[in-house]
Amino acid sequence: MERLERLINLVAALLAADRPLTRDELAERVPGYPPDGPAFHRAFERDKDALRTMGIPIATEKVDPTVADSPEGYRVHREQYELPDPDLDADELAALHLAVSAVRMDGGDATAAIWKLGGDAQAAAEGAEVALAGSEHLPVLFRAVTERRPVGFGYRDAARLVDPWRLTFRTGRWHLIGYDHDRGEERQFRLDRMDGVTLAGEAGAFERPAATGADPAFPWQYGDEPEVEARLAVDAGHADWAVRYVGPEAVAERRDDGTTVLGLLVRNRDAFRSFALGFLDHAEVLSPPELRDDLVAWLEAIAGGQVA
Amino acid sequence: MPRIGADDRLRRLLALIPWVAAREGPAVEEVCARFDVTEQQLAEELEVLFMCGLHPFSPDMLIEADIADGRVWIRYADFFSRPLRLTAAEGLALVASGAALLAVPGTEAEGPLARGLAKVAAVLGLGADGAVEVDLPPPPAAILDVLQRAAADHHRVEIDYYAYGKDERTTRTIEPWLVFSAMGQWYVQGWCLRAGGERSFRLDRVERAQVLDETFRPPRHRAEPRVYRPRPDDPSVTLDLDPAAAWVAEQYPTESVDRLPGGRLRVRLRVSELPWLERLLLRLGPAAVIVDGDRDVAAVAARRVLQRYRSGRPVVSDAS
Repeated sequence: MERLERLINLVAALLAADRPLTRDELAERVPGYPPDGPAFHRAFERDKDALRTMGIPIATEKVDPTVADSPEGYRVHREQYELPDPDLDADELAALHLAVSAVRMDGGDATAAIWKLGGDAQAAAEGAEVALAGSEHLPVLFRAVTERRPVGFGYRDAARLVDPWRLTFRTGRWHLIGYDHDRGEERQFRLDRMDGVTLAGEAGAFERPAATGADPAFPWQYGDEPEVEARLAVDAGHADWAVRYVGPEAVAERRDDGTTVLGLLVRNRDAFRSFALGFLDHAEVLSPPELRDDLVAWLEAIAGGQVA
Repeated sequence: MPRIGADDRLRRLLALIPWVAAREGPAVEEVCARFDVTEQQLAEELEVLFMCGLHPFSPDMLIEADIADGRVWIRYADFFSRPLRLTAAEGLALVASGAALLAVPGTEAEGPLARGLAKVAAVLGLGADGAVEVDLPPPPAAILDVLQRAAADHHRVEIDYYAYGKDERTTRTIEPWLVFSAMGQWYVQGWCLRAGGERSFRLDRVERAQVLDETFRPPRHRAEPRVYRPRPDDPSVTLDLDPAAAWVAEQYPTESVDRLPGGRLRVRLRVSELPWLERLLLRLGPAAVIVDGDRDVAAVAARRVLQRYRSGRPVVSDAS
């Protein structure tokens, strides 16, 4: 008998059960298991693991909850198994199918998700492709966001307890935005800097506030340092690129020689310095003096003692 | 089509059964197209399903599964009346893919994708306000449009390009194969006639793009687009990195990474162009030390930039 047949019958038996079924009962109701004890045990455990990996919520419960030493059994509650019908129109499902085929995400495959939504018979078109970096922490964080459960993780050598509000992909990386219980305020965390993410609370433990839509766009705006407006002069040959990157509203001055002065709000001095240094000697921090001095001191440290 | 394991076949069947069972004999071709199976495979799966059901497997307890006159029938599978919930990984991949495509310029903000995504988000418990957001950098819309159309019509394009690594600008003719977004940037991948090889160009550094009359034949198999492809004759450099600079080992292709005491890393990198290395070292400052290669690169670059700050240019002080 094919293993597939045994697995289908096992899922059917667990779903149709109106009470937990013991291993012995399952051995009797599901054909295809080896008769001998240890071999049955191994095969059943393997099937159970495979089904759980697939996302089938197999519950382990006492057969008789009123008896302390009642044997344990297994069942699948239909309300935990069944996907609520999102009632997608054909064009909506086709659009999702197109998105899944146009976006590549490391470690993520949404093909099975499309099947579960009913599948889409149209061939996916070729078009602009988007690659999203993956992260080992994404599945557990996504689950925590959907179920509104707090999470614990290590971050910069400190343990954090956070209510996860939303996941954002920006500047090529995934970030978690949420309420940091240790700091008592909203914080952002980079997923690539997290260690050991675990669920740390019950479902529905918090309400997710509405997105403000005012999230910072540039690395030098991600920070909690006092905000200053910096002036950065960029040489003519590099100004076009710089303006396309930061946006025309950041242009504070255009000089006759083509030099463009940008006005940038800075809340993260390290990130601003990195941006300015990316131009090498084609740009200059004009003000405020503290940022200019910081950059000069930084360069002097690298240049060593031989600077005149 | 390759054989897939029992687990993957089950995953697909648990989605296929409720879809077919809820309909009056859908056409074989449609079922095959929706669930990525051949007719042969579908017939095999239904033969297995025909043997399945509930104890004691008397005729009234068996699933009925059959292909007749080009139509698929599945009945008496009430326990499989709905598909299985999405796993967290599937839900995330679906929602993130949808959010990413929605962020691509030209996608209708209120169109079917946005509507479908909102319905899926509601079912997953995500709410309507975007608990998963994907921001892609805004590409220069005109250049994106020109290159996408040229890639679709197989037309060569002449571009003015600023090569950041070399710190120089060039005019070149390319055959654009694919426009894509990766690592937070937009790129066009294609054949560069000037370089005589496959190259990727960042769209924000394309200063002008003009479609030419000449057409090209796109390659039948193109490699996965990659942003920087080290060449064997590129010089290499070995850096010791403080923990704060460990991201360098993740961000750039490395030849080797060794762990040092105290959480430091020793990485060997291929350097395509000197200005690229100068920028990296100036940004990292004391967090990186060259242990093999030209040890003066950072100091020389720092002095060159410092000259600019010492040349007595007036400092504009209109920022308070």
